Amino acid sequence: MTKTLRRALLGAVFVTASGAALCGGTTWAATIKVGVIAPFSGPFATAGQTFKQGIEIYQAQHGKTVGGDTIEFVYKDLDQANPAQSKALAQELIVKEKVGYLAGFFFTPDALAVAPLIDEANIPCVIFNAATSAITEKSPRYVRTSFTLWQNTVPLAEHMAKQGIKKVVTAVSDYGPGIDGETAFKQTFEKAGGQVVDSIRMPLKSTDFAPFMQRIKDSGAEAIYAFLPAGPTTLGFAKAFNDTGLKAAGIKFFGPGDITQEPDLPALGDAAVGITTTFNYSQAHDSEMNRQLLAKAKELFGSSDLVTFSTVGAYDGTHVIYKMVEATGGKPDGLKAVEAVKGMAWDSPRGPLKIDPNSRHVTQTIYLRVTERKDGKLQNTEIASFPDQPDYGYKGGK
Amino acid sequence: MSAVATNRPRRETAGRRLRRAALDGAAVPVMAVLGLAAFWLFPDDLGLMTRIAATALYVLSLDLVLGFGGIATLGQAAMFGTGAYAAGIAAVNLVNEPITLLAIGGVAGGLIALVTGALILHARGLTLLMLTIAVVQIVQEVANKARDWTGGSDGLSGIDPAPVLGLFRFDLYGRTSYLFALAVLIVGYLVARRIVRSPFGLACRGVKEDPLRVAALGGSPKRYLVTLYAVAGVFAGVAGALTAVTSGIVGLDSASFSWSAEALVMLVLGGTGRLYGAVIGTVAFMTIHHILASSDPFHWMLFIGLFLMAIVLFAPGGITSGIERVVHRLKRGRA
Repeated sequence: MTKTLRRALLGAVFVTASGAALCGGTTWAATIKVGVIAPFSGPFATAGQTFKQGIEIYQAQHGKTVGGDTIEFVYKDLDQANPAQSKALAQELIVKEKVGYLAGFFFTPDALAVAPLIDEANIPCVIFNAATSAITEKSPRYVRTSFTLWQNTVPLAEHMAKQGIKKVVTAVSDYGPGIDGETAFKQTFEKAGGQVVDSIRMPLKSTDFAPFMQRIKDSGAEAIYAFLPAGPTTLGFAKAFNDTGLKAAGIKFFGPGDITQEPDLPALGDAAVGITTTFNYSQAHDSEMNRQLLAKAKELFGSSDLVTFSTVGAYDGTHVIYKMVEATGGKPDGLKAVEAVKGMAWDSPRGPLKIDPNSRHVTQTIYLRVTERKDGKLQNTEIASFPDQPDYGYKGGK
Repeated sequence: MSAVATNRPRRETAGRRLRRAALDGAAVPVMAVLGLAAFWLFPDDLGLMTRIAATALYVLSLDLVLGFGGIATLGQAAMFGTGAYAAGIAAVNLVNEPITLLAIGGVAGGLIALVTGALILHARGLTLLMLTIAVVQIVQEVANKARDWTGGSDGLSGIDPAPVLGLFRFDLYGRTSYLFALAVLIVGYLVARRIVRSPFGLACRGVKEDPLRVAALGGSPKRYLVTLYAVAGVFAGVAGALTAVTSGIVGLDSASFSWSAEALVMLVLGGTGRLYGAVIGTVAFMTIHHILASSDPFHWMLFIGLFLMAIVLFAPGGITSGIERVVHRLKRGRA
């Protein structure tokens, strides 16, 4: 038994190792490699999976070649936020795999870690997710196709003020993105004449939200603005919000759309119903391109349930990389490639996009959505849209 | 008859001690030769190898407390992270001379170990284990809260170290980084060896074996342990600073529970109580981790798990004791 196990193990190691050696050894002159660094294993594996699906859907729709050059994606796993490892992986991709482009990056510190490398090697880096505004300030070779918390929060705060809501409590997890959201909300909402009656920062690892609910109740607010990491934390918060009777008391629940992202909706269940969010993409977005994307996902992976914001982030990021390759004729020149896509505008499954020439971040439509049950399945239904929203946090947002 | 019976094992231990001394003496030249050979053989993997060297120094610090002092800890990353952040903050605001940064990291790691060690080392066993976890959690939360200094969960970026000795710039290929890290590891190893062979090191082993007896002889077990913990903290702090200098960024993961646990896995894999065990364990774990993760970025964790299970099943004392056992068996077979 143990012998078989050991043999199987050795066999597995040998086969995978030689497989890697073979892949590394075969390169064609006209192949342009794109290194993708993202979590493909561990608790955040879904994020990496959506990146990969986004890339594969784009390649299935648009082919794998640009002007005779084949685009090949090389995946590197970074299972959690670990900037030192991110830099080591990027170094390996550049030096060993000779990639012409870097892409991916789910967490902010991992994206920040590669700034000195991309500058020295003159390689463009297309960020599919990492959402802190400051990233693109650190190198002129960063381009980002996702969103920032400022971008989602500012239109939400303006909308709430317009609805006549006067008193709001902010409740965010005590970490970078949460505090970004709180700052953006407070600034915008107070400028629009509203009042933030209490700002609650909850420890990242909280599981018991009842005390915070009491504080929300005591503050006499009409609505809350909440941001927590997606998944179990949001679930706990939303459940507590319902169970302690805050929902029944008529307090409205607002937040950026990360908290009701599609892969988490089944776990959130009815606790999510009625949460109003703003975001750059909903699976339920009504457009021909989005329907094609979902159909392709179903065809390739058997289901389109995973398609979410990070899928379109990768999908549009791949589009940007294709355009960069086209503009440089396949020759390696990072700055020229980035220059070529500045100001570029195109239509995406989430709506019209444009790369702002200054911040190198996408200007896009932000949608107001409400989570509801339709045909037995939870979805984020878009009820209003705010076109041409830039990254409000770029320089001076803070 | 009985004289022969008692004599035999004594001769064997003497022989084993000799063999171990020979291994210990050979460790540094072997490490230097292999390290330099790897520099020529794998010029494309210097990023990974730099991380291995810095991590080996960190695991070495854990070996000092666990292998030589018997302090069960899951909080060694508290010292690593403090050293990394201290060096990072100093690099952003004050100086960028790499060797000064390592010294700053070492001092910071040593201080935090001294303070927390004095507070928690009266406990033993599971209680101590819990307390060390608490310390690492506190350090991480402080780093998360002090966003103006540490960047919080965004990480502390913008560390741009000056050339080593004013001559060797940190380059894209990681040549300087690797040689610098290798040199720091070897110096650290030599210092650690000197410490464990000193009367102080022997006294710490005494505390590990039997604290009551050390107390009966007039020594203070707690004082020995706190000193050892602080000394190991210096090593961990230097390792953290080395990581900060070579990677240019510090994240919250550097002061995390999982980073502490990973060090323990590497140490157990190599074998505790031998300094070279820490180095061998780190090299083995990180190399296998890298090969598996790059060949199958989606399912490699499964294979790492299988690998660790295999080690526990077939070589329970780690790689070094496994090798020693095989050598021993071969010798006996010949005799």
